Amino acid sequence: MSLPLLSVSDYSLSYLTPRGPLEVLEHVDIDVTQGEVVGVVGESGSGKTSLAWAIMRYLARNAVEGGGSIRLGADDLTTLEPRRLCALRGGRLGMVFQDPSAALNPTLTLGSQLIEMIRRHRRASRTEARALAIAALGDVDLKQPEAMLARFPHQLSGGEKQRALIAGAFACRPACLIFDEPTTALDVINAAQVLDLFARLREDTGVAALYISHDLALVSRIADRVCVLEKGRIVERSPAREIFAAPTHPYTRRLVAAVPDPRRRLLDESPDKASQPLLSMRGIGVDYGRHSWLARWLDRPDRRFRALAPMDLDIAPGEIVGVVGESGSGKSTLAKALTGLVDHPGEIDFDGQRVATRGRLRDDYRRRVQLIFQHPDASLNPRHRVTELIGRSYRLFGLPEGETLAQAVARSLREVRLEPALARRYPHELSGGQKQRVAIARAFAARPDLVICDEITAALDVSVQASVIELLLSLRRHHGTAYLFITHDINLIQQIAHRIAVMYRGDLVELLSAEAMAAGPAHAYTRALLAATPLPVSRPSVPSVVSHATAQPQGTPPHDVR
Amino acid sequence: MPDTLKALVRSPQGVVGVAICLLALILVVLGPWLAPYDPNALSFTARYQPPDLDHWFGTDQMGRDLFSRVMVGAHATIVMSLLATAIAMLLGAVVGTLSAYLGGRVDEAIMRTMDAIMAIPSLLFALLIVSTLGKSDINAVAAIAIAFTPGMVRVARSVALAVRTQDYVSAAIVRGESTRFIVLREMLPNIVAPVIVEGTVRVAFAVMLFATLSFLGLGAQPPSSEWGLMVSEARSHLFTAPWMMIMPGFCIALVAIGFNLLGDGLRDALNPRSRV
Amino acid sequence: MTAAYLGRRLLTIVYTLLVVSLLVFGMTQLLPADAAVTLLGASATPQSLAQVRAQLGLDQPAWLQYWHWLSGIAAGDFGRSMRTGQDVAAMMFPALGRSLLLALLALVLMLAVAIPLGIVAALHRGRAMDLVVAMVSYIGISVPEFVTATVVALLFADFLGWLPATGYVPVTESIGGWLAHMVLPTLTVSMILVAHVSRMVRSEMVDVLASDYVRAAHLKGLSPRRVVLHHALRNALLPTITIVALDVGYLLGGIIVVEEIFAIPGIGRALIVAVQNRDLPAIQAGVLIIAATYALANFLADLAYAWLDRRIQYA
Repeated sequence: MSLPLLSVSDYSLSYLTPRGPLEVLEHVDIDVTQGEVVGVVGESGSGKTSLAWAIMRYLARNAVEGGGSIRLGADDLTTLEPRRLCALRGGRLGMVFQDPSAALNPTLTLGSQLIEMIRRHRRASRTEARALAIAALGDVDLKQPEAMLARFPHQLSGGEKQRALIAGAFACRPACLIFDEPTTALDVINAAQVLDLFARLREDTGVAALYISHDLALVSRIADRVCVLEKGRIVERSPAREIFAAPTHPYTRRLVAAVPDPRRRLLDESPDKASQPLLSMRGIGVDYGRHSWLARWLDRPDRRFRALAPMDLDIAPGEIVGVVGESGSGKSTLAKALTGLVDHPGEIDFDGQRVATRGRLRDDYRRRVQLIFQHPDASLNPRHRVTELIGRSYRLFGLPEGETLAQAVARSLREVRLEPALARRYPHELSGGQKQRVAIARAFAARPDLVICDEITAALDVSVQASVIELLLSLRRHHGTAYLFITHDINLIQQIAHRIAVMYRGDLVELLSAEAMAAGPAHAYTRALLAATPLPVSRPSVPSVVSHATAQPQGTPPHDVR
Repeated sequence: MPDTLKALVRSPQGVVGVAICLLALILVVLGPWLAPYDPNALSFTARYQPPDLDHWFGTDQMGRDLFSRVMVGAHATIVMSLLATAIAMLLGAVVGTLSAYLGGRVDEAIMRTMDAIMAIPSLLFALLIVSTLGKSDINAVAAIAIAFTPGMVRVARSVALAVRTQDYVSAAIVRGESTRFIVLREMLPNIVAPVIVEGTVRVAFAVMLFATLSFLGLGAQPPSSEWGLMVSEARSHLFTAPWMMIMPGFCIALVAIGFNLLGDGLRDALNPRSRV
Repeated sequence: MTAAYLGRRLLTIVYTLLVVSLLVFGMTQLLPADAAVTLLGASATPQSLAQVRAQLGLDQPAWLQYWHWLSGIAAGDFGRSMRTGQDVAAMMFPALGRSLLLALLALVLMLAVAIPLGIVAALHRGRAMDLVVAMVSYIGISVPEFVTATVVALLFADFLGWLPATGYVPVTESIGGWLAHMVLPTLTVSMILVAHVSRMVRSEMVDVLASDYVRAAHLKGLSPRRVVLHHALRNALLPTITIVALDVGYLLGGIIVVEEIFAIPGIGRALIVAVQNRDLPAIQAGVLIIAATYALANFLADLAYAWLDRRIQYA
């Protein structure tokens, strides 16, 4: 084995806080050799991002280094003088960030940001740098690279921005690149394309890379070796292919078990084949904006935006229906339409009774259909205590017989496996997982028949997600609740749904059973989505997904309203 | 609330702000009892005395003890400013929240009108109102209250708009809460805090504006010892007795600094997420 | 930026002036002043008073008076001063010119001091330099103009004798003399603005310096100097434009006090004289002109913002 190009050895880092030092990295050792990709996997708070900043020598003010060294080739970065460090950054040692929109200055054109970087590190003149920038953008398959240079970041899509940033990083001929969750902010198919691009460029240039992510399945797919980081310590290192097959450390085992695997169903019993569906919707569709008579008269373009094309769907009692789609697919709009937050022209029958076509919903429906939001930070009023948050459901929908409000709240908390003592807390005094459990407790306090879950685990760590999912399933076993489970994670939904609705740009493209999904879906978009999603396995070779990923759904309906 | 107070005194600016404002409060309540002399007692033998142990702030052209006058005058300056700001805050919160809640064209009309009123500088606006209603301190309060209202409307509305789109409001709508409950229990507690912060900072501004009106002869009237009026009266004796102007001027600035610091301290302390 | 946006923006200016004119007219109607008595004196006969009232149109209903007044202004006729009988426009516009020169000086001084101060404070966040700037701005923002004015006059005019305390020399007569008379008023009026704007620049700059794209710029290997000047400053100064425009309102208010204290024949002083004499046409014209100035300043700021930040799509 050749000498490592990037070598972090026995490195420790802590932050000074008012309550004493907080250790974020403890005795970390990582080597990356020429042409190798090393993955670093960890949950939030594991110190993985601090590690990236430490390597880039961009430390927070209250950071204190506890010894150890970080070497790039022959240079020790921890002692390198600022001028040489500056020349190194973005040049021999590059970085690609999580959120491409945040990494670009919104008031400068893409061209000026790329060119300044290339001029700095390639010592090129302005015209040479411009030519290099155009070539680099062409390299990452961006169309019309010249026109691209004159655009501002807000005029580019997320995928385009990330590809442009990768183009810039590679144009400066790096020896080593740090990737900090470069695909987390992107949709699945865009992410797959970016990953393919990365694989190709890596092959061409032989760059060494440190790839940081929370996504074990993804890292195991693109990295040669994987390091698992838990609370600042590397607890396991193994070849990427073996991490799922033979995890050794207990933490890794827990993590591996928590990663959604579509082939491992968490649900075996099928729903009762009831005579009538619990909820039946017909022609639920939503258009945002309006086309006023004045605009019509002035012959202005119709600015209405179709968020959701009219769709039909039935949900049986106790059934879990998954809704999966990328951002902008209309899946959250569906939740809003069903709960009366937006108007729709369709019909909803609940338990055999017509609910309302528009506007006011019956109290009975409001109790029996509950909604849980994605971000508990936003859906729990920061000025109310947990007891008020949950108690509100009991006040509105009635207390069970023989229980006081305090007893009911305590029981609700126990039901979602929280200490009843937490009732006195405010939301900001709880962890992310605890907050989402409070939101779940609030929904179940209404004794609902159907709970609509709108991406409720998207903001949570994978192990917390697993425990929340487990909780939902056990609540369902207990109460026989049906779920409409909205998510972007096609692996997760295959584990828990009876039937899955696949949505794309406001249209329901396919509604199929989980078994049919496992056997191979009919629609090209669903296939593309599946192909773009990394599976938690170590496969000997990864087939390219680009050909599938670029496929558009066939017969996409027209999106204008008229 | 005790939590807020604890968070408030944890920051240096909060501590200083609370200290100055407490001092001001003590002056307002106890000023007349604490004053060592009668603020209006004339003394020909003790005219133009520079500050010394007997007269801490010196005396004026009529031999009145400035320290006593400042202590008694605190009442006029601070109470009037608080009153004016409180009225503006209340009006602004109601109109702003309503405007945000109604939305659409009503909101547009209200906000454009508030913008239009803000095109008249507050001092000029106050000047106009006082000259219409007549010179008196109550009219000055009304003038400042009206002049401040559009600004408070803007703040309250922008906060209310942001709160309106929060998921917890959507959650309340979904579970079928009454409009009354949503506005009063879900939205208002989240609107009040930023409005109070803005109001506190505005008290500082009101103190200065009120003093300026008195200085121009349109606020408090002699023989009141309102601080702005004291500065105004001291102007003609600037060269013989500069302390006459410096002492009340210093007090105005100190109180204004106090409320500015308190407002900034409250802003940090009332942010529920910064308090861990 | 489109013509539609410009049109709508101009429409709001018109609306602003309409509201202000209604307010001013309404208030001056409430004024306990009888224009006829003001003109003729208390000893005038009832007949002559009635005659003057008819002449001025004061016997007409209020809405008609408002209409006449407004249409007069639209034609450039602001009416005649009740005190001097002079054309109000001829009185107010030259005064406005003198005031605007003062305001401009104050703005330039403010920007020249406040922006570097705010940047320095942000770059030294949490250190001694930041604390000093914060203290200075807390003091600056809390001392009313009339106190500042008196102190600087005492210090520079009387104690040091460097500058004239009060009075005015037209700029056309002697630039040096004009400037000498302008130093203290400019200093006074910009004090609070410097304090306010430097705090705003600091907090914007702190936000921008902590933003991901500034971090990205550092990690691209750009020199710290280039990151601050090319990447951060731009974005920090954009919101400052709006703040400065809103502060123009405060500046115009401050000018009233400063002109009164330093005896500068600007529009502020003219207004105070008009208020003291209950000179209705002069009050109305003065307030309207100041409001128009403010509205125009904000309009220009919006244009500047849109031009500098081409991200904004005005529909």
